[in-house]
Amino acid sequence: MKHLSRLVIACTVVMLAVVTMTAAKAAETIKIGLIEPLSGRIAAVGQDALHSFEYAAEQINKAGGVLGGRQIEIVGLDNAMNAEKTTEQLKKSVDLGLSFVLQGVGSNHALNIIKFVNKHNKRNPGKEIVFLNHSAVTTAFTNELCSFWHFRFDANVDQKVAALVTQMKRDPSIKKVYLLNQNYAYGKSFQAAANKLLEERAPNIEIVGDELIVPFGKVQDFTPYVAKIKASGADTILTGNWGPDMHRFVKGAMGSGMDTKFYTIYGGITSSIAGYGDDAKKVDLKQVTEMHENHAGMPDDVHGFMDGFLKKYTDSWYSDRYRWALHMLAAAMEKAGSADPIPVAKALEGMTFEGPIGTVEMRADDHQIQLPLIVSTLTGDAAKKVIYKGKNFQVAFKTDGVVERADTSLPTTCKMKRP
Amino acid sequence: MSAFSPFPLKAKMEVFFFSVFNGLLYGMLLFMLASGLTLIFSLMGVLNFAHASFFMLGAYFAYQISKYVGFWPALIFAPLIVGLIGALIERYGLRPVHKFGHVAELLFTFGLAFVMEEVIQMIWGKVPVPYNIPEALSFAAFTWRGLDYSAYRLFMLLISVGIFVALFLFIAKTRIGLMIQAALSHPQMVQSLGHDVPTIFMWTFGFGCALAGIAGVIGGNVLGTEPSMAITLGPIVFVVIVIGGLGSLWGALLAALFIGIVDNLAISFDLKLYPIFALFGVEREAEGIMSDLVNLTTGGIAPVLPYLMLVLMLIFRPRGLFGTRDV
Repeated sequence: MKHLSRLVIACTVVMLAVVTMTAAKAAETIKIGLIEPLSGRIAAVGQDALHSFEYAAEQINKAGGVLGGRQIEIVGLDNAMNAEKTTEQLKKSVDLGLSFVLQGVGSNHALNIIKFVNKHNKRNPGKEIVFLNHSAVTTAFTNELCSFWHFRFDANVDQKVAALVTQMKRDPSIKKVYLLNQNYAYGKSFQAAANKLLEERAPNIEIVGDELIVPFGKVQDFTPYVAKIKASGADTILTGNWGPDMHRFVKGAMGSGMDTKFYTIYGGITSSIAGYGDDAKKVDLKQVTEMHENHAGMPDDVHGFMDGFLKKYTDSWYSDRYRWALHMLAAAMEKAGSADPIPVAKALEGMTFEGPIGTVEMRADDHQIQLPLIVSTLTGDAAKKVIYKGKNFQVAFKTDGVVERADTSLPTTCKMKRP
Repeated sequence: MSAFSPFPLKAKMEVFFFSVFNGLLYGMLLFMLASGLTLIFSLMGVLNFAHASFFMLGAYFAYQISKYVGFWPALIFAPLIVGLIGALIERYGLRPVHKFGHVAELLFTFGLAFVMEEVIQMIWGKVPVPYNIPEALSFAAFTWRGLDYSAYRLFMLLISVGIFVALFLFIAKTRIGLMIQAALSHPQMVQSLGHDVPTIFMWTFGFGCALAGIAGVIGGNVLGTEPSMAITLGPIVFVVIVIGGLGSLWGALLAALFIGIVDNLAISFDLKLYPIFALFGVEREAEGIMSDLVNLTTGGIAPVLPYLMLVLMLIFRPRGLFGTRDV
């Protein structure tokens, strides 16, 4: 009797173990790394990205997860905006057995990751890491530096400039443009793209100034630049500036009675808006993005997502590419029937997704997303205002025009080597 | 750049005048910061590394106060609060450290700058705050050949000139001013005459901080109010007092105006530096490193110009323009 009960217990234990193991296999979460500055001076940017991806993952999980119920989990990895730490966190990702790593803040870090995964994946077959770039915009990553292991879900600098220039061309009042950019790799690539695309697409617009400034907040007072721009007779400024170089520039223009239009990439991000507040209404400020909250005709799921995010984090949804990056990854896993890096990467090539204003496509040739973009103006009388950390900034964006995918699509020089 | 013809001569003239005007204004702002710093240094021998942080504090307080009761009360109360905080920091932070010597004091203010930046980030967040020009002054004071000059900037100029005059009268004419002057050169003698030198130190420190606070109130809404504003402005203020001569108000004034105007002119008249390099036989069509060098313009080096002046000053005249002792 005693023996029998022992046998029963032993059998039960073994059976239970087998059952839990199979269940664990089926429900094993798919971990995706996110390497961003989660501490230090610009931690807010990294934390915002982490929240956004966590929310997007949560929505996918709620809808049943991927590959028959597996959950997606975002693992935040702090690089403190330090190149050494980015490499450290990549090594940690290897140790954690991650197959997918997201990153986007800082093109120098992105370049670091591209180099790392190229080398790592060659030396460690079977343990490859795929880099999902959500915001690093240096065009070279999908041109001469292109890699099979890198996918960019954001428009690159050239695409964004193409959208801005195409929209400028539609405004017949624009005759003279002044280029002002930051003197480093990104600013120079903006400058080169602007010169080239203005000549190609809007030869009637005269470039009356082309200037590079010392970047990263070194310029305290933009008044001398503003005086110079006024004297040049420019009616429009085209700038890729971001951070303090953007909002100080706008502040410098506000006090001068200048009615010049600002065409920007980063004039509308929350930290910039926080800098000028509702005074920004005094300036004609435009931005290029993949969406904005007040754009009419966006599908219901986008609205539902935005509303849910606002409710949970009291932040306006700004970068819809975070959502589609994760959805496209999930779809690629379904298509490949696995969460292994190589089949998923192959499935991502050429994948399409219904974005907020039209279909986006991960171009197979260079792993650069192809997408329509919106140029919009900052205004005080849009319905949904920008909210950040529960604070209403009393301004928002109104669409000037949509630039279709065909017009933002640019040729690539990429010669992709596939495994 | 060179592909675009420079502006016609007429336009150049107005750009020149506006650059000088803006330079004056930026220079006066720098002076307000530097005057407090140089006063503190000459009296107490303390190089206050956290000085620009008081400037930042002034801007943030002004933003917070003006949100509730408007700009004008902020103009008065923000500097007062900053000054009071400065005095308290001197009394309970700096004075106990004083007996360990100047290096300890220097390290104390160095740490203080970081603490203040962190505290400000905790309270107001890491993104800039929308501290803007008061509505009453956001119109063009005058328009000259198509360029507006905003009333607020004119107001800034008046305030800073007013403070400069008041500061001089205070130091030269009042009893406390005379005591400060005496304590500058002979602190032991002043103390043995029965004056309370530690208290003079405390209020001078607070007063210097309040000056930085005023600069923050009137400058924060033009330059932008954000956690990194102290770090970017701090080094320039040191340049001003070293060029002007440590402890000299006149020197600080001249150096601040000089830096402000040169900075503005260098940007407005983006002159090529090629002729200078040509003297050293650098080819215009040089490649590699040299190509960057020959293509330099004054606008491109404007932000480093003050530091260049600093280095030259230290080499050729270590006591600065009006200094009485070497650095």
